[in-house]
Amino acid sequence: MPKWFSPAVLVCGAMFALSPLVIANAPYESTMGLVQKVFYYHMPSAWVFLTASVVCGIASARFLATGNARHDRTALAAAEMAVLFGLLTLVTGPLWARKAWGQWWIWDARITSSLVGWMIAWAYLILRQYGGPGSEKLAAGLALFGMANVPFIYVSVNYWRTIHPATTVVPKLPFSMGFPLMFCLASFYLLMFLLMKLRVRVAEQQARLDAIYLSLDEEA
Amino acid sequence: MMRTLIRGFAVALVLAGFLFNGTVPDSIATLLAQGQPKQQEVFTPIDQLPPQEQLPAAPLLVGAYAFVLLMLFGYLFIVSRRLTVIQQEVDRLDRDTKRT
Repeated sequence: MPKWFSPAVLVCGAMFALSPLVIANAPYESTMGLVQKVFYYHMPSAWVFLTASVVCGIASARFLATGNARHDRTALAAAEMAVLFGLLTLVTGPLWARKAWGQWWIWDARITSSLVGWMIAWAYLILRQYGGPGSEKLAAGLALFGMANVPFIYVSVNYWRTIHPATTVVPKLPFSMGFPLMFCLASFYLLMFLLMKLRVRVAEQQARLDAIYLSLDEEA
Repeated sequence: MMRTLIRGFAVALVLAGFLFNGTVPDSIATLLAQGQPKQQEVFTPIDQLPPQEQLPAAPLLVGAYAFVLLMLFGYLFIVSRRLTVIQQEVDRLDRDTKRT
């Protein structure tokens, strides 16, 4: 791993350790009260989920265009990030909604399209795992659909009737609520970057291991 | 004596006027409503409230944060372990191929 990796891990760990203090200092939202503070982990998880889906799609498109395995490894790592952070989004959301809306789940456009995006990321990983030779190209095609779903997820709350907060909420946040959100967002993006770096490294070493075994087989 | 009687009659007239207009009771009711919480007319068991008013927020909030941190640490642990295992395997094979 590069030299900057360990200090970056320490910075990321410190940011996550500080985040509860920063969130505790944020004021309560007037109608939802304490439970609204789920927002400070829910929304960064959702943004990282959407970003990872886009990264997976772009890397897959580059892999399909060039055939370079480096892009394929990036797409694979990004798909795992999409599954992980998508799960965090889809679990923290209902925990917030149960108190704020009185229901665990509603089938509105935002939540349903997020679930579809998460299942596409899962399908990508399952295809990679069990699809056999050539499955990386099929999976790359699937990742393009996952990326195409992202703008739909983002704007869905503005075009379809829902009780999900609109996209205007975040730009209008006061500093006392906006700072904790940006702090958590920076922590989550740094974590995503570090986890992706680690996952790409695993894939690189796995490819190296496969090459060594292949050469040993050829020698034998 | 006469003066006291006239004063009492005047006060009685003013009070009767207020009472017939209904302005005094209304003003008093308004002032009372502003100064103290609303009078409770019925006791409602908590299980008859809408679901979002029955639930305490703290367990949901703590649950959400705990889930996020557990999943992140779990994933970090799994990936780090995989990397260590693969790295050891690669190093072992490198040593073996150099020896032969």
